[in-house]
Amino acid sequence: MNIVRPADAVVVGVAALLVGAAWASLWGGGGPGEFAQVSAPGAPPRQVALARDATLEVGGRLGPSRLEVRAGRVRFIDSPCVGRLCVHTGWLSRSGQVAACLPNGIVVEVTGGEREFDAVTF
Amino acid sequence: MRSPSEALGRDDRLIAGFAALAIAIHILEAAFPSPLPGVKPGLANVITVIVLLRYGWYTAAWVAALRVLAGSLLVGTFLSPTFIMSASGAVAALAVLWLAQAGAGRWLGPLGYSVCAALAHMGTQLLVAWQLFIPHPALLKLAPFLLTAALVFGIVSGVIAAFVLSKLESEPGAARP
Repeated sequence: MNIVRPADAVVVGVAALLVGAAWASLWGGGGPGEFAQVSAPGAPPRQVALARDATLEVGGRLGPSRLEVRAGRVRFIDSPCVGRLCVHTGWLSRSGQVAACLPNGIVVEVTGGEREFDAVTF
Repeated sequence: MRSPSEALGRDDRLIAGFAALAIAIHILEAAFPSPLPGVKPGLANVITVIVLLRYGWYTAAWVAALRVLAGSLLVGTFLSPTFIMSASGAVAALAVLWLAQAGAGRWLGPLGYSVCAALAHMGTQLLVAWQLFIPHPALLKLAPFLLTAALVFGIVSGVIAAFVLSKLESEPGAARP
């Protein structure tokens, strides 16, 4: 009996391709395609693409917060809270950056792409 | 009066004998330290593949199930996360072996079966670990390392199984139950 039959070689080849695909997909870096993950109270988090410029309103505990997406970045432009810390955080562009309006319960986090940091604080 | 063992069929003796062999290998492997958590050679897979090719899937399923059960009792991991991982891996490996035999049994040899079983085993264990124990995306980053190890050890086990099978075929009396 032969140790390696043709079908065995095929199986090993396909298996090697699968393992190679796993390497490529999990270690190949993210590439473009960045998102902002917007979490609001009482709603599932949603993904907003940073590629398209937009202004959006997100309802929070105190009222609507307004976000602006421009040139691959995102920021709070207004929020019905006292300190406006979220607005002063400014533009977020790198994966891992977070801006939060805690009184209003809204968190914006940049995700996707190549994540250099686990978290960024100010 | 007949002793209880005389009531056992040929299959029962076969299953018990091969399960004992597989359990011995399982425990020997458990004694070796592993370079990476979750990676072990899985040489007990050799027994499953040999039994599958010589006696069919049903016997192989019994041998693998007994190995997981009795092996975990002896190593002391019964019903622990280790056991759940081991059992789910074995179930997946058996399912894939069944599919492989039903679909391509005429062409496949021990190497092909062994690689299929090893990858199914590792892939399922990863998913189970990710879903049940460590639901963090970083765990999936380990997948390529673990799958590469599974592929290498699957090939090694397959070659060992092929050698043992060819020895058994050249000496038909060697493995009588």
